[in-house]
Amino acid sequence: MLQHGNEAGRPATSPGTSRRRFLTAAAGAGSAVAAPALLTGCGTARAKGGNLQFWNFYGPQRSPDPAVNAQSKWFVDMVDRWNATHKARIDLVYLPQATYLNGFKLPAAFATGEGPDIFLLSPGDFLRYYNGGVLADLTPHMEKAAIGDFGSALDSRKVDGKVYALPMEIEPLAMFYAQDVWEKAGLSEADIPTTWDQMLDIGDKLRTKTRAGLVFETRPGYYQNFTWYPWMWQGGGEVLDEHGEVAFDSKATRQALGLWQDAVRHGIAPRTMPAAADVIGGFKGGNVAMWQQGIWNVSSFKAFAPKYRYGVFKLPTPPGGRYVTALGGWSFCANAQGRNAEAAAEFCVWALGSMKDDSIDRMVEWCVGTKSDVAPRDSALDRGSAKGGYDSAIMKKFKDEIFPGGRAEPRYPPVVYKAISDAIQGTMLAGHGVASDAGRAARSIEAYTKSYQGASLI
Amino acid sequence: MASDALTTRTHTTAAAAGRRRLLSSRAGLTLLAVVLSLISLFPVLWMVTSSFKTRATVTDGRLIPQDFTFQNFVYVFTEVPFARYLWNSFFISTVITVAALFFHSMAAYALARLRFPGRERLFGAIFATLLVTAPVVLIPLFLVARELGLLNSYAGLIIPAIFNAFGIFLLRQFYLGLPKELEEAAVIDGCGHWRVYWNIVLPMSRPILSALAIFFFLANWNAFVWPLVATSDQDLTVVQLGISSFQTQYTSNWNYILAAATVAALPMLVLFFIFQRQIVESIKTSGLK
Amino acid sequence: MSGVAAQERRRGTTMAAPAQSPDTSGRRPRLSRKHREWLAAGLFLAPDVLGLLVFVAIPMVLSIGLSFFQVSGFGSYEWIGLGNYRRMVNDPLFWDSMKITGLYVVFLVPILFCVSLGLGLLVRQKLPGVGVYRTMLFMPYVISLVVVGVLWKFLLDEQTGVVNRAMRAAGLDGEPWLGSPSLALGCVIAVMVWVMMGYYMIIFLAGLQEIPQEYYEAAKLDGAGPWTTFRTITWPLLRPTSFFVLLMSTVAAITGGLDLIFVLTNGGPANGTSLAIFYIYQQAFGFGEYGYASAMGSFLVLIMVLISAVLFTFTRGGRFDDGE
Repeated sequence: MLQHGNEAGRPATSPGTSRRRFLTAAAGAGSAVAAPALLTGCGTARAKGGNLQFWNFYGPQRSPDPAVNAQSKWFVDMVDRWNATHKARIDLVYLPQATYLNGFKLPAAFATGEGPDIFLLSPGDFLRYYNGGVLADLTPHMEKAAIGDFGSALDSRKVDGKVYALPMEIEPLAMFYAQDVWEKAGLSEADIPTTWDQMLDIGDKLRTKTRAGLVFETRPGYYQNFTWYPWMWQGGGEVLDEHGEVAFDSKATRQALGLWQDAVRHGIAPRTMPAAADVIGGFKGGNVAMWQQGIWNVSSFKAFAPKYRYGVFKLPTPPGGRYVTALGGWSFCANAQGRNAEAAAEFCVWALGSMKDDSIDRMVEWCVGTKSDVAPRDSALDRGSAKGGYDSAIMKKFKDEIFPGGRAEPRYPPVVYKAISDAIQGTMLAGHGVASDAGRAARSIEAYTKSYQGASLI
Repeated sequence: MASDALTTRTHTTAAAAGRRRLLSSRAGLTLLAVVLSLISLFPVLWMVTSSFKTRATVTDGRLIPQDFTFQNFVYVFTEVPFARYLWNSFFISTVITVAALFFHSMAAYALARLRFPGRERLFGAIFATLLVTAPVVLIPLFLVARELGLLNSYAGLIIPAIFNAFGIFLLRQFYLGLPKELEEAAVIDGCGHWRVYWNIVLPMSRPILSALAIFFFLANWNAFVWPLVATSDQDLTVVQLGISSFQTQYTSNWNYILAAATVAALPMLVLFFIFQRQIVESIKTSGLK
Repeated sequence: MSGVAAQERRRGTTMAAPAQSPDTSGRRPRLSRKHREWLAAGLFLAPDVLGLLVFVAIPMVLSIGLSFFQVSGFGSYEWIGLGNYRRMVNDPLFWDSMKITGLYVVFLVPILFCVSLGLGLLVRQKLPGVGVYRTMLFMPYVISLVVVGVLWKFLLDEQTGVVNRAMRAAGLDGEPWLGSPSLALGCVIAVMVWVMMGYYMIIFLAGLQEIPQEYYEAAKLDGAGPWTTFRTITWPLLRPTSFFVLLMSTVAAITGGLDLIFVLTNGGPANGTSLAIFYIYQQAFGFGEYGYASAMGSFLVLIMVLISAVLFTFTRGGRFDDGE
């Protein structure tokens, strides 16, 4: 088709036209058109084979935030170390978090067989990837002792007793609050709420036109569900009971939906995230009094607002309820359909799940050095504590009070996620009846689980 | 509706009164244009001023930064190869624009002015490609690009983006309106179709081509999804992917994002300002009116 | 009514009765005029037709094919016939998203049309500094939709946003613009108008500048007022442009805006801004349901084909051959 353009261009070069300027411009156009054809030759995609690809949202990258730089370095060092000692080499491919989570990139790659060999996986996506047959079994590469060392942290990453992903961190949710706001309102440590009603009362007291009293996640997504589950669990609610039967339409569920609905209806909790969801900006800008957030903000505060005075407390409970929080965190996994699934699986275990010292120390470094997380292995948690990683008042609280009541983020597949999400959104932001939305969600989940084939949902 | 060219030319009896009315209505229209422009401009202005804010104040909602900093721009250009991203986007957008204008004007000319069997049906088919919903064809398009060996290359960013029925459609509408006499004269002179297209139709379509050039360039400058899916080589990163890379795992550095967005938008504003004058100029000189 | 319309009609008739030229001459290099024209048209159209075929038509055909499969998102395909279409018919969320899309199109397209036509008429005037106004009005379109989303998220913020601050200054209560299902869709429409108005303004401007100045001068001599001039000259002669803008903005409203929705609302609150295109995206890329997404996408294309077929029939392909 390029030839047509060039051939046709020839007669036009006849002299005597008053359009010469246009002609030269078009001649330039002709060569520019030819450029892509030339470029194809030098830019063709690499054939499959070659180095293993490790897609992640940490590194290599450069950031003004020293914590982010350290996290990037942790990834780079780990891969360098592996490459120095192993034959199957690995390339790190960095994708920004927003792209990794919500993007087209990962799904498009996996759908076309171009998926990465090693990648980071969140609990919410586990079943979809497992049922798709892309998760390699890591068990053959692991020692029994190491599996024991992870303990219950592996529960949501196992199918039929086999391990398919290795968690790199555990991230519990808690309530963060602004100490200055607290004190200006005449409140003290003793006023830290332990019940839902107290929490709402204090939120009501602390709110102003430009300050949210209490912040719950408002944007629909897996993350919002994740932050909502603990409120449901606290009253004994479940999405699916231990036999896998739908149990969503319960008093505890309605109560949890009602909590968020009341908070929003009375103006205690905002309908959109303050400071466009930037926690540091929201607190520092004085737009927030209390915010349900995760442990990861401890290192963000340390990096961006080291002098800012904030505190954390356990999620309050409903009358007769039992304290529970949700535990998040990402894991490494290997692509069973990749270039070299064997080596990829070996790498995951080598990096995070071997009984060797450097594997354990690597996790310690990640959870208390570069980030602020609870380590998913007992051995790493002990070493991290010994290193003083949990000495600060806040981290100590996370480790000793907040984390112990934790429960791992469930691995419900998309249809179940969406049904719950619609119930949360409908009751919280559209004023739907709590009972009707809980019932509708339960029916959608029921319809889905009847025809569901695949690994256990719980 | 009357322009001031008319005011100077018509010397009728009611001229004086009419002129006064025109003047006051012109003042009113000018005022309206100023007000509307300011409303339209405000969010953009807010983006620019906010890019000088620090992270702690970027979300404060004020127009004027309270603690002014250049650091965001320094960061954008030093810590990230943003200049490289700008160059990539510039190169890709330029090649696409030039190629697309050339191909589309040829196709549109044929559809509007040449007679051949099945013309209307072909136009219908070309138009129908506009109705294809992008997210749905993304995966198949990725497969096609992979089969052609286009992934992870400039060619892969350029070639699939050239073909878009929008330009063909707009140019066809334009060519339908050109006076028939001009090309009839040329045909009588013995010019071939190529010469008619090249020497008469193309120069006459400069205004519309200028407008289309801006649209194509901008659309590709702002392209995000296809470059994201089709490349993973850092050297091929385009500017919009660069902007999105300032979002880290749990926090969003809005100050950097806004600074990068400002850097990405400025050349486009300059480009448009120049081109929109060119559109007006070429209309004046094309002898069309 | 005018010379242009007459020309259009003339061309229409010549087309209806194609010139019969003798092509029996047999001399090889001398193709008949008719065939030369065919050949030229073929060559002129070849690059674009080929490109559209490879990069749009083939993927679309593949996508329609996918709609008959259950797709895992990890390379496994299972033929399920019309299963995805049956699921679509019974999916209340899909129909909700279609309703929202309908509402969105019905408000966005006419508002956008009127605003950009108005702006086009305004900036066609020889006002002092008109180039600056054009640039300022076009400015929003220069910014990518992702950044536009970020920008408006700040401006519409419940607590610190400029809009609410202005309202409070005027003694009103602020509104949770993006946090209420009834307001959020309105916000998306308003932002979209803000982004696109300068773009269609330029297209209208190009169309307006094609209308020969003599007509206006004649109307002026007849003593026609601005409204009469608009109704009898501008509006009828602008019809090809109007048709184009109407059709394109409808198609763009149905298939576009995804980037903006991601950033601004992510489909929320309570699915209030979950346009069909967003729901399709979510099923495909969020949930890996490519087969189902393809079925819904194909259905959407079908609807657009019907809409444009109706528009085309009424306007004879946007030619307006028959004039007034």
